[in-house]
Amino acid sequence: MSITDLTSMGEPQTELRKEINDRLCKLQDEISDYCYQCGKCTSGCEAHKLLELEPHKIVALLKRGLIDEMVNSDVIWTCMSCFKCRERCPQKIAPVEILFALKNMAVASGKQIPGNYTALLQSVLSIGLLQDIKSVTTRDNKTLNRSDIGLPDISKPTDPTKFQMMISKIAIEKV
Amino acid sequence: MSNRIGVFVCHCGINIASTVDVKDLVNYAKALDKVIVSKDYKYMCSDVGANLIKDSIKKDKLDGIVIACCSPRMHEHTFRGVVEAGGVNAFNLEISNIREQCSWAHDDKELATSKAKALIRGAVAKAKLLEPLESSKIKVVPEALVIGGGISGIQAALDLAEEGHKVYLVEKSPSIGGRMAQLDKTFPTLDCSSCILTPKMMEVANNPNVELLTYSEIVSVDGSIGNYTVKIKKKARYVDIDKCTGCGDCIAACRLKGRISSEFDEGMGKRSAIYLPFPQAIPLKCTIDNEHCLLLTKGKCGTGPLCVESCEAGAIDFKQKDKEIDVNVGAIIVATGYDLLDPQSLYEYGYGRSKDVITSLQMERLISSSGPTTGEILRPSNGEKPKSITYILCVGSRDETQCSWCCRIGCMSALKHVYLLKEKLGDDIEINICYTDIRSFGKGYEEFYRNIRGMNTNFFRGRPSEVRNERSHLSIDIFDTTTNKLFEIKTDLVVLVPALVPRADAGDFARLLRISQSADGFLLEAHPKLRPIDTFTGGIFITGCCQGPKDIQDSVAQSSGAAARAANILSKKELESEPLISCVEEDLCSGCSTCISVCAYSAIELVKDDDKSHAKVNEALCMGCGACVASCPSGAMQQRGYKDKQLKPMIEETLKK
Amino acid sequence: MKKYGLYPGCVMPTEQYALEKSIREVLPYLDIEIVDLKGFSCCGEPLKSVNQMMTLTLSARNLAIAEKEGLDLLVPCPMCHLALSDCKRILDTDPAMNQKINKFLEDEGLKYTGKSSIYHTVEMLHNIVGIEKIKEKVKKPLIELKVATHYGCHLFRPSEVGRPVDSENPQEIENILKAIGANPIDYPEKLECCGGLLNANLPESALTKTGQKLQKVQEQGFDVFIDVCPWCHRQYDSKQKKAGETVAAKLEMPVLYLTQLLGLSFGISEEKIGLNLNLSPVDKLKLGGK
Repeated sequence: MSITDLTSMGEPQTELRKEINDRLCKLQDEISDYCYQCGKCTSGCEAHKLLELEPHKIVALLKRGLIDEMVNSDVIWTCMSCFKCRERCPQKIAPVEILFALKNMAVASGKQIPGNYTALLQSVLSIGLLQDIKSVTTRDNKTLNRSDIGLPDISKPTDPTKFQMMISKIAIEKV
Repeated sequence: MSNRIGVFVCHCGINIASTVDVKDLVNYAKALDKVIVSKDYKYMCSDVGANLIKDSIKKDKLDGIVIACCSPRMHEHTFRGVVEAGGVNAFNLEISNIREQCSWAHDDKELATSKAKALIRGAVAKAKLLEPLESSKIKVVPEALVIGGGISGIQAALDLAEEGHKVYLVEKSPSIGGRMAQLDKTFPTLDCSSCILTPKMMEVANNPNVELLTYSEIVSVDGSIGNYTVKIKKKARYVDIDKCTGCGDCIAACRLKGRISSEFDEGMGKRSAIYLPFPQAIPLKCTIDNEHCLLLTKGKCGTGPLCVESCEAGAIDFKQKDKEIDVNVGAIIVATGYDLLDPQSLYEYGYGRSKDVITSLQMERLISSSGPTTGEILRPSNGEKPKSITYILCVGSRDETQCSWCCRIGCMSALKHVYLLKEKLGDDIEINICYTDIRSFGKGYEEFYRNIRGMNTNFFRGRPSEVRNERSHLSIDIFDTTTNKLFEIKTDLVVLVPALVPRADAGDFARLLRISQSADGFLLEAHPKLRPIDTFTGGIFITGCCQGPKDIQDSVAQSSGAAARAANILSKKELESEPLISCVEEDLCSGCSTCISVCAYSAIELVKDDDKSHAKVNEALCMGCGACVASCPSGAMQQRGYKDKQLKPMIEETLKK
Repeated sequence: MKKYGLYPGCVMPTEQYALEKSIREVLPYLDIEIVDLKGFSCCGEPLKSVNQMMTLTLSARNLAIAEKEGLDLLVPCPMCHLALSDCKRILDTDPAMNQKINKFLEDEGLKYTGKSSIYHTVEMLHNIVGIEKIKEKVKKPLIELKVATHYGCHLFRPSEVGRPVDSENPQEIENILKAIGANPIDYPEKLECCGGLLNANLPESALTKTGQKLQKVQEQGFDVFIDVCPWCHRQYDSKQKKAGETVAAKLEMPVLYLTQLLGLSFGISEEKIGLNLNLSPVDKLKLGGK
């Protein structure tokens, strides 16, 4: 009749779980159902020791359908996308891809994007790259830019307007 | 040819009746040509149903029967018996499958019923043309072949021998005993493995009904149930077994002493080129390894082979050759055992890079008092006693990228090791077990697990991602899901419990015997629940780990079962062969031999009658697979019970609108 | 000379100039011609957390640009290489996705059909140029330089997508280093992550990962740390000092791009391979020979 998580008083969100599993299928990744919680992912997770990310727990919560608590959390943004979890999982599950799905969901739901991501996104929108050309300081304290070093002009989208039009169309697309 | 056909429609409870209008079918059938009577019943396969058919045969003087029911794979055999008991030839019966191929495949009652009508229509058309057939008799050779001399093969051979049948027991390696001989103790009773094995080994060696063929391999298998011809190669030992006393002087003298990796010790120890696999080997005769022996590989052993010099009995004979013999048996039991997955497939666990990462079977050899360290537990890297030993379970098991199945014995063997290691190294030895589930399912297993839990063992529920070689020790990070904490284990010796896999040559071997493998590569049983010992090939049975991972008691039980199944055949003087086999219409046969080239059972030969060559089917060998029929360009080759002249009208009637 | 389009990504052309400089010097030396194309944008991989459709579309458009010129791509950044490879995998096997993404590409008059192949610098050096040719070009073998190699996670994982090197025991960089006379040695932390991606939102944690690995490498007595990725190099070289401060350790490990070390062994000048741009103590090494 009902299942309630007594710590959060949340109930399984079966629709959202299906949405994420469908997305994983579309990208040819394995769905969360097959996880038997061996913990090999978390044992090797590069972000676990420092930032307490537990990939196996993410998969377990997805199996249980407790999606909102993950989408609203900060921990999903700690993943370094080293792909070790996906590489070593005996059931071919990719917690890293599940985390990307959750992060995409957080952004789409209007939650504030952490850190620098907004700036990176703005930069791609305006010049097509994550950041503009920087001047660098050499080991002997000189300041040089790209042309000083003898490198040619960088490659950027030839028609920025068309490029931006395309980007704004995709920005609202879900997988 | 039948002129008086009875159609019997089964409800199969609601399996057929809920989707197909049975009453409608009965009426429909009654109106078909040559159908005299048409009846229905809830469960045609029951006694009541059988009597219904038998009574109708007598009363209505029927000479052909159509039963519309479930798949012939279920009850065709039973119904043949019923029809025969009623007085009609068993092969004047046609089964129309209106369950698996109709009521179970569709929802729409109207359409399903009309399809069922078409199926019955076709069946009646065929039944009109069926001919009575007689089974021929196959003489049974009351002797058996058991392939594999481990505990499974030994048990099967003993049971058959005690029943009074002669048994050839063929073993690839120089001694019988198999994996059990490599173990120190067995779970859950902690019996000494050799102590309980060797009496059986002695029994089977001394039993007058058993002919032991060790260091021998199967070359070919021909024939069929009741009468197999098997070619066996007895490999040359280069030792005269009548003279050899197994004293071992040659082993000590061998120029390559201590230089060759010992297979029995799983590479943890070394042996000579002339060797006894283990001290309790049966037969206790030496064997020369022709892949390493200097004289055999290079033609020269120093100034002369030292084994010959040291042998007082003069038993060494380098002139020996492989010998091939033929044996004739009525049944074959396959008990060829298993291998371990090479843990190098899981590179992250460091097997093969660090000497101190070993497999559970290698640890078994270290624990064993007849092992390379005479039972002392020493780190392979420096020969010192370990202070901490860590087990990683499920290495390659339950793993979609390696072996998807559970190895069944890993958990229990690891728990057994804990007991034995604590016994040897003292209670203080740190033993860590990294597990995903502990499967202690058998009789006495849970109690054993409880005892080990009470023995100061560190259980970590989780799976390490990798084993790091930090030169002086090994380091493992493991997330323990019971406490939700990440632990770093610094340990001296890591034991990997790998998946159990079929032997590397299982595929080739299966093809040799014409039996199948399941998707995991183990040999395929006829039905996983109800026929776990039979294969799809009559007269060939499988037992032990070659059928799938299992422990010793399940292997022994299955082997006794295999012996019973084999004895079933061997105790008969003759068997009835299925008459639904191929036959040649000699007038139409041009002798092109296409059928011979496709026959997997070598059951067809070309014979000359007067001036004309034509094909002839050996009825004892033919399996009725139909490949020859399909390949015959002239239609001369036909299959009894499925002749073109019977099938064509059936198809036409079925497809009629 | 075989021609390859250079796909620079974002980090290399805007700040990791030493990688670009050394590639432009070393590859033509090995008979590989680099062609610059117009119109490239970010590959989208760093924005995968924001919107994966955007990543797929951005990668697809860059591949489409290469296709238009009939060129295969040299991709020096493993993160870009992964993005482009993953995009190729999905669009080559899923017609619905292919159609959907190509619709977006129409705005810029681009179409992806999967004709162009993608190569990382390590692949190009090891598989296309080949070890023998590299050996031939060596003028100043780097005898006894004890090297710690760092591949960078995206170069070898996830293997299911298809990566240029093995995911558990990559040896390509080692083989190249041996060809130029250096002495690469495996170490337990070899496959550990630099933390680079966390620069976007958790820069201090990124520096902790960087510092921890460098510390371990230093403790094991390595002479030099070689990497092949601008994100990794930014952490290990450009931010080495900060990383040291974050983990409270004195880090003095020379860090070079593989192409820089290659160039030096070929006798190419320090200036031409951008050695002045390395902020780690590369002067510690008596580079350029015996």
